[in-house]
Amino acid sequence: MVAAYKALFNLVLGFFLVLSLEGVGRKITARVQRRIGPPWYQNFIDVFKALSKHPFSNGWVFDFGVLMALGGAMATAMIVPMGSTTWTPFPNSDNFFVIMYLFAVGALGMAMGMVGSGNPWASIGVSRALTQMLGYELPYLIVISSTIFYYKTASIHKLVELQKNGWNLLVMPLGGIIAFISLMGMLGKKPFDISTAPAEIASGPMTELSGKYLGLLHIMHVFAMFVEVSLFVDVFLGGGNLGWYLVKFIVVWVLAVLISSVLPRFRIEQMLKFYWGVPLGLAFLNALFVLLGWTL
Amino acid sequence: MAMSTLLVSLVATSVVMYFISKASWKIGAILNFLIGIFLISYVFALSTGTTSELGTLFGQKLQLIWTNASYYFSLVSLLVIVSVMLFAIKWLDSQKYPAAFNMFLLMMTAGSLGVFMAADLITLYIFWEIAVLSSMLIVPMGKKESRKAAVVYAVMSASGTYMYLYGAFLAFQRYGTLNISEIAKHMVSDPSTGIKATIFLLLASAGIAKSGIFPLHTWLRIAHGNAPDAFSAVLSGQLVKLGSYVLMVSVAALPSLKIFSNIPFYSGIPATNYFLIALGATSIIIGTLMAIKQDDMKMLIAFSSVANGGYILIGIGTMDPIGFEGGVLHVFNHALAAAVIFMAFASVVYRTHTKKISELGGLIHKMPITFLAYLFAIISLAGIPPMSGFISKWMIYQALVRKGMFITAFIAFFGSIGSFLYVFRPLAGVFLGQLPKKYKDVKEVSPIMWLPMVILVTISLIIGIWPFPILKPIEGMRMDFGIAPTMKIADSSHWLIKGFAGNWNPVLVFNLFLIGFVIAYILYTLFPRPKKVDLLAPHKKEGAPINIYTGGEFIYNPDLYQYNTKFYAGFERMYEKHPSWEKLLEMLAKFFYDLGEWVHGWFFRPSPSAYTFWVTLTILIVFWVRW
Repeated sequence: MVAAYKALFNLVLGFFLVLSLEGVGRKITARVQRRIGPPWYQNFIDVFKALSKHPFSNGWVFDFGVLMALGGAMATAMIVPMGSTTWTPFPNSDNFFVIMYLFAVGALGMAMGMVGSGNPWASIGVSRALTQMLGYELPYLIVISSTIFYYKTASIHKLVELQKNGWNLLVMPLGGIIAFISLMGMLGKKPFDISTAPAEIASGPMTELSGKYLGLLHIMHVFAMFVEVSLFVDVFLGGGNLGWYLVKFIVVWVLAVLISSVLPRFRIEQMLKFYWGVPLGLAFLNALFVLLGWTL
Repeated sequence: MAMSTLLVSLVATSVVMYFISKASWKIGAILNFLIGIFLISYVFALSTGTTSELGTLFGQKLQLIWTNASYYFSLVSLLVIVSVMLFAIKWLDSQKYPAAFNMFLLMMTAGSLGVFMAADLITLYIFWEIAVLSSMLIVPMGKKESRKAAVVYAVMSASGTYMYLYGAFLAFQRYGTLNISEIAKHMVSDPSTGIKATIFLLLASAGIAKSGIFPLHTWLRIAHGNAPDAFSAVLSGQLVKLGSYVLMVSVAALPSLKIFSNIPFYSGIPATNYFLIALGATSIIIGTLMAIKQDDMKMLIAFSSVANGGYILIGIGTMDPIGFEGGVLHVFNHALAAAVIFMAFASVVYRTHTKKISELGGLIHKMPITFLAYLFAIISLAGIPPMSGFISKWMIYQALVRKGMFITAFIAFFGSIGSFLYVFRPLAGVFLGQLPKKYKDVKEVSPIMWLPMVILVTISLIIGIWPFPILKPIEGMRMDFGIAPTMKIADSSHWLIKGFAGNWNPVLVFNLFLIGFVIAYILYTLFPRPKKVDLLAPHKKEGAPINIYTGGEFIYNPDLYQYNTKFYAGFERMYEKHPSWEKLLEMLAKFFYDLGEWVHGWFFRPSPSAYTFWVTLTILIVFWVRW
């Protein structure tokens, strides 16, 4: 029963934390670009307004896809540990690969629902998103594999415990940097916002969304970002109590926002060439260091 | 009934089946299905360790034995075959030769069961040929191109089989026996690594050819793509698994870790196994990259079979307890997923008469059940929970990371993410999007055709939530082969699957997904009801524009507003000019053809009698010198 409360807490915290951080991010970007920007709670207003409006539905697979997306993202958010064993809802199942692939259920649901809307712009957006996945996942997975090989466990809360004597970021700094670059792609921040690209493909997958569909998928996106950043914090930035975890979470988020606010957008093949160039090479180098025992 | 009686009577029945089907193919197909059901019950009833004797050939006893491996592989095969048999009861009415189809399908079933039961290399070979030849005769029943496909299939298969046969004879010459378990004993004590490695690779090459591993993978595209549509499900779901079985025999039944313990290559894996793993990894790359750019949906999944064959080979090749189980479980997962996908495609072709993704679209409005079956099958094929496909991929990753095989792991990850890309293409291009005008009167296929797909998908889902029934024979198999017998991977009392690096609970993961879905549904119902957008409006009324966002333009022809040609153009462009193995083989074929032309032109055409004389003389000299 405790596990269920913890899982629920994950959802509540994830929702409020990431939605406010999104607002903060908008504010930061605005200030970097010398604008005033919206208030930090703007995204709450956006979501609730979207939810309250009368929407249009493009058929049952559209509805089903949205539900599958939100359901998958919530399921993943419920498993993710938050910086310590105390805040691990399901210590028996928080395996890295389980989280990674459960996460894909939500992504697949969203892709299916949006292509099901019948709009080709959505298809193009999904095609770009999947290609982008091919880009950022590979260096990321290599880095995580070497981490798992080094610590001999894929269980996230155990990884957190094993970093008591030093953060993984300091053990394998190369890996940490690569994972952060991949995180930027996962979050869909500039320069990696190719799949939505409002000016090119009419917001891609979101083209046909209206009212509550837009709101629900925004919530799904919130949980997805919660999972992605949490995984990075857990795997590379060690443990601590919930407060520390929140601080690290916010720092990582702000860093990502700062970088993205000054960069333009990649084209799709530029993105692939970027990820499969230096980051992938360095990820292998990192794996080699781990194999040879050359860690700090 | 003894196993030998069963096999012989099955082959005999298949001939009878031809004449029954000649009278009425429908009765033949139903009888086939009933025989399939009987075979499943027979497989369940048989206890491991049962032996049987088929007869004697040149002083060699042909023996059969029922092991955990036979049970597992027979069950997987029969699940696929019986579903296709059920599917065929209706689907055959679109075919030209239903009687021959029924006969060869049953004969192929007998052959496959014989392969899994065989206790020695020659029995295995005999049944192997029965299965291959009968399936080869089904392939050309498809379209015009399928004649050539059958030839390619036969040649590729034969090149593997003859190497296998040579390996079997080599083993017989050296050890004086053909029995697999005895050869295993002899090989462990044999000091000569060269001979052992030769036997190993020769035996494995039959598996390499059959399961579509590089460099013998080219027939998969041609044969799977051009075979009769429902039979592609058997080809990819079942026949390819014969190859995986032979690979398992040559890697695990002949304990390669012990046999080749003197040539370790990396992380305790012998060089011979590593060679196979490298081939498997190459297949994953080729299969994934080629699948992404196919426009023919059947060829797309054929290339995905190449990639998945690579996963199976990598898993088994590591001989790591969890990797081995992952590889063997992947046989089950891929068999079910590929069978459902090909049956779904067969349904689509049955209704629309095309297999080009670029000509299709929006079929979800017309064939929702086929769509759902395909959807769940690709979730399994892409290895996403809660379907069973995830479990085997998880196990293979565990093994690769544990062994520190980062490059192979990288390729496995690439294949996995790449599979998201290629399975999504038919989903988006065939089932979703805009329905072309010419298909506005297409209907869902009959229940006899969608029922087998639904059954297989349900099994895959149940195994994904509760995998322990299928993990039990796999663990038994692992004990039989002596791969870390003390380790326990499936812990059904705690609902856990244990890896070297952490556990997970499939029931919990499924429930979490369910809870997430329920919460999402509650949220969904809380907010205002949507108005429906009619995507079929242009089909219902002539001159009605499309109802969705079109940038302010009026579009009246839905065919124009569908994105399904070159779906991943941005990515495909990056490897347009790739070197092609198939082209290389074609060049080789052309070289031999030209050589033949040269001989023909210079020797045969001027004087056929002189030509015959010289050929006879050459053969005599070869015979005399005894090369």
